[in-house]
Amino acid sequence: MIWACADSYEEEYSVFTPEYFVNKQYSPFFYTGNEVYYGLGYTDGSNTWYNDNIVDEWYEHFNHQFNKASLQYLLLKASAGAVDSIYRKSTGSLKALPAKYPAIVTGNISPKMLNAFYSYLRLAKNAEAYSVNDQYYSWDKVKPNHSPVNLGPALVGAYDKETDPFIKERIWFQMVRYYYFLDEPSNRTVKLFDQFKDHFPKNLIYYRTMGYVAGYYHRQKNYALSNYLYSLCYDYTYKLKIPSFWSFHPQNESDWTATLKLAKTPEEKITLWHMLGVQYDAGRAIKTIAAINPKSEKLDLLLSRLINIREVGTGWGNTTTDSVKKSDNAGKRLVEDIASKNNTAKPYYWNLAAGYLNFLDSNYTSAGKYYATAKNQFPAGDKMIVAQAKLLDMMLYIKSLKKMDANAEAKLIEPLNWLANLRDNKLKIKDLRFSNAISVCNLAISRLYKRQDNTIREVCFNNNAQDFYADSARVQHMIDLLNKPDKTAFEKAMLRYYPITLNNLYYHQAIMLAYQQKLPEAIAQLKKMTPENFLLAGNPFTGRLTDCHDCDHEAPQKQKFTPLSFLQTLYTLDSEIKQGKNVYRNAYAVANAYYNITYYGNARLFYESDVVATGPTGRYYYEDEPRMDDKLISMQVAIKYYQLARKNAATNEQRARCTFMLSKCALNEVYNDPGFNGYEKLSEGKISKAVIDAYYNYFAELKAKYNQTAYYKEALKECGYFKTYADKK
Amino acid sequence: MLKYFWWFIIVALLLPVASCRKPGNASTAFYYWKTNFNLNRQQAALLKQTGNNAYIHFFDVSWNDQEKRSYPNAVVQLNEIPAGLNIIPVIYITNKTFENIADTAVTTLAVHCNRLINELAAEKKIGYTTVQVDCDWSLSTRGKYFSFLTAFKKLSQKQLEATIRLHQVKFKDRTGIPSVDRGVLMFYNMGKLNAGLHQPNSIYNEEDAGKYIDYLSVYPLKLDIALPLFSWAIHIRDGRVIQVYGKIGRQQLADRSHFKQIEGQANYRATASFFMEGVYVKQNDIFKLEETDGNTLNTAAKQITQHLPKQQHTTIIYYELANIDLSKFNQETITQISARF
Repeated sequence: MIWACADSYEEEYSVFTPEYFVNKQYSPFFYTGNEVYYGLGYTDGSNTWYNDNIVDEWYEHFNHQFNKASLQYLLLKASAGAVDSIYRKSTGSLKALPAKYPAIVTGNISPKMLNAFYSYLRLAKNAEAYSVNDQYYSWDKVKPNHSPVNLGPALVGAYDKETDPFIKERIWFQMVRYYYFLDEPSNRTVKLFDQFKDHFPKNLIYYRTMGYVAGYYHRQKNYALSNYLYSLCYDYTYKLKIPSFWSFHPQNESDWTATLKLAKTPEEKITLWHMLGVQYDAGRAIKTIAAINPKSEKLDLLLSRLINIREVGTGWGNTTTDSVKKSDNAGKRLVEDIASKNNTAKPYYWNLAAGYLNFLDSNYTSAGKYYATAKNQFPAGDKMIVAQAKLLDMMLYIKSLKKMDANAEAKLIEPLNWLANLRDNKLKIKDLRFSNAISVCNLAISRLYKRQDNTIREVCFNNNAQDFYADSARVQHMIDLLNKPDKTAFEKAMLRYYPITLNNLYYHQAIMLAYQQKLPEAIAQLKKMTPENFLLAGNPFTGRLTDCHDCDHEAPQKQKFTPLSFLQTLYTLDSEIKQGKNVYRNAYAVANAYYNITYYGNARLFYESDVVATGPTGRYYYEDEPRMDDKLISMQVAIKYYQLARKNAATNEQRARCTFMLSKCALNEVYNDPGFNGYEKLSEGKISKAVIDAYYNYFAELKAKYNQTAYYKEALKECGYFKTYADKK
Repeated sequence: MLKYFWWFIIVALLLPVASCRKPGNASTAFYYWKTNFNLNRQQAALLKQTGNNAYIHFFDVSWNDQEKRSYPNAVVQLNEIPAGLNIIPVIYITNKTFENIADTAVTTLAVHCNRLINELAAEKKIGYTTVQVDCDWSLSTRGKYFSFLTAFKKLSQKQLEATIRLHQVKFKDRTGIPSVDRGVLMFYNMGKLNAGLHQPNSIYNEEDAGKYIDYLSVYPLKLDIALPLFSWAIHIRDGRVIQVYGKIGRQQLADRSHFKQIEGQANYRATASFFMEGVYVKQNDIFKLEETDGNTLNTAAKQITQHLPKQQHTTIIYYELANIDLSKFNQETITQISARF
């Protein structure tokens, strides 16, 4: 059973760049939490993995005379039939090729060589039927992929006849692979490999052939030998590393120890431990390899993985579930130990690593000492490693600070700008992993300011202080800081990390004021914004029997409202109410407006555009999820104005309309009630009785007083809840 | 004559009491989830003794990110099918498929699935009347999944069943109810896999189930019940779950030269680094064993029957036959559990 960890947050956990320390050919195995192979994602499958090599090898074989595009077509694309036609054309037995085939350009290659090539190709194409495996990746009918029985003797015959060593080796490969896929009881895969292996150079095709022998042994459950052979393939070349690594799977301790015994040289043993280390246990492998040869290049990848894996662990906090100390400690001590022996190929790498592992464990004094030692060992002129060290230094300096004072701030101006330049792409250092350093540094600085009660600076470095923006006086301080004409160099550097703009802050102040019904003040804030207007989707002054935001948004609107024009109009209407003008009409429109800027209304955009607001901007679905801010769901202001409108209404039609709107508000208050749990029947929840009664009282009023109105009849038609109620009693 | 009449009265009086939940009205079935369908003698016997019903996993539907298309995965290889076996094909569709597939491609997916099921069945001359679809759909995929089910039903003309998870029962208003003929309540995997050494069993525990079970009575779809027969070992390193294995159990963990039992129900710490069953165990790794046995199933059955609405007939499907531990579950245990419904 496979169960993969589904956490996917770890893209930016790292500040230690393996590219600077490890030979590039090991790069697919750099530690990564979200890809199978670093930088490659997952490979496009073994079917095409060697395509470029195959073409290049033949291109060399023909001394660059065979056109490369022609070779690509013949080797990778052409069907057996196409090969046959092209071959017959080259011998003259076919006059002309059908138009669908590309021209084959063969320069001055001898007919003998061409003949041999085409003969080989015809055999090889037959092998694709069983060796190219794509059966489970398509809805097309799953095809059987048994090896054709008669191909074996044909391959053996061709092998015996062939004189060209280049082609002979490839037929040998085809034979071994054929018998591997034939999956027969006799072990001809192994026999053919052993019989002829000394006839050929140990090149890519040789080791690819050996890979099938390893696969054969795996199938035979001879894991010891299988894994040993895979390790030889792994070691041979970059191209074989991924397939061999993929297949390397010790099963039990007994076969693993047997594999180790098969190693003929210390280097072979190192490769085996290296593979174990990459896949399973970097620390254990480092310890073993360092004892065999501390200068081995195969240590580098393991050390980078040990560090990068340890970095991921830091995100998880103290989740150890039993009393045993984390085994990482052993890793750190091991790296310290090797660093101190000073007998590796890259002493600076081990010292930086030892320092950083100490940093991760919050041993800042030790970390500093190792960094200092490393700096004296840096290879001259390596800017990458200097940048890496600078990043580590910066983090160490900040984490070591006890408080933020003028001295610390002065020292931080340059590194803070440097890091911001990296982030903003004003400075590029290839491969440097710096993202996580930004959050580590910002968080640490922010904590220091918090301890010193400097809330403004705390928020600048970590815009996460939940209630900061609820206090308009503090928001005003922040506005003042952003507006300050003569900012210090530190303030400038600091503000590069503060994500909120002046416009954001003005908008936030404005909508906070609007919900408090302080309209002139809200308008004044909006006017301070540099125009960044957007339009509300629907007319916020309309109300409807049953809410339909999409209908409101699509409805033709004579006037579209921006937040500013909306608040200005709202203010005008409100002022007219105070003067006693058109009170019914104005109060009804104002009530609609205050309804519409809540979660229930057609103008959610009004509050959703507030990037400063914290907390959810949509209703919670499941219990235990955070609820929206009260001001965004409360119906109280809307209720106040609907009641005012009803009081000043001239006709029963108007009163019926207001009463129905009030029932809508009352129903929303039912939904707002903490006792509401999603049940369709209100009586099933734990909603307070007063809230439910308020809702039904409006229905009762409608039925008792306004049942003769046209609006009443419309409500019966449109609103199922109301109809159910009206029918029942 | 009068004597018989009194008997009739007594029986009539007793009947309503008993029929509130008349036991023994359920049939037994097994899931078979391995790619290679091959029953050993005991498995075949158990199947035969319990009514010959097998829900066979035919294939998965997965999503290929690179080519942006769905594809069938882990297609079953049906070898020898015992005579008289009543087979219900099951397909598992990853939620990722519906996250990615275009609205317009949903019907084509139904065509593909229906065709592949038919081909696999035809190859072995399997007649089937019902298909079960398993997908842990989410709010965002609900629309596409439900229209897939509708399209599939229309094509296949078979009885259609869909698996239902506990949270989908509780939050039916948000998650929706698939329009199928029957649902199958998956009564396992209710807790989150976790590294806590004292946390209750995540396969089944009464308390976690209790948070959802009240809602069973108002769920509008007729439900069959799937119960777990499996156990597994959770592999924990540095306080994190790194893997789960069905192949590692008490037998491996009892090895005193490599493991030491520690606090909690059945937790074992590795005392050395070594390979075991293809798994690399690092010194200090912890294996947390979570098991299911007859007692677990009894508790689960009791809990469900208190809340499951009365219905004519219920099928109890056990997960699953290919990896069943026959020392724990035999015909008698299974039949007894089914009889509780």
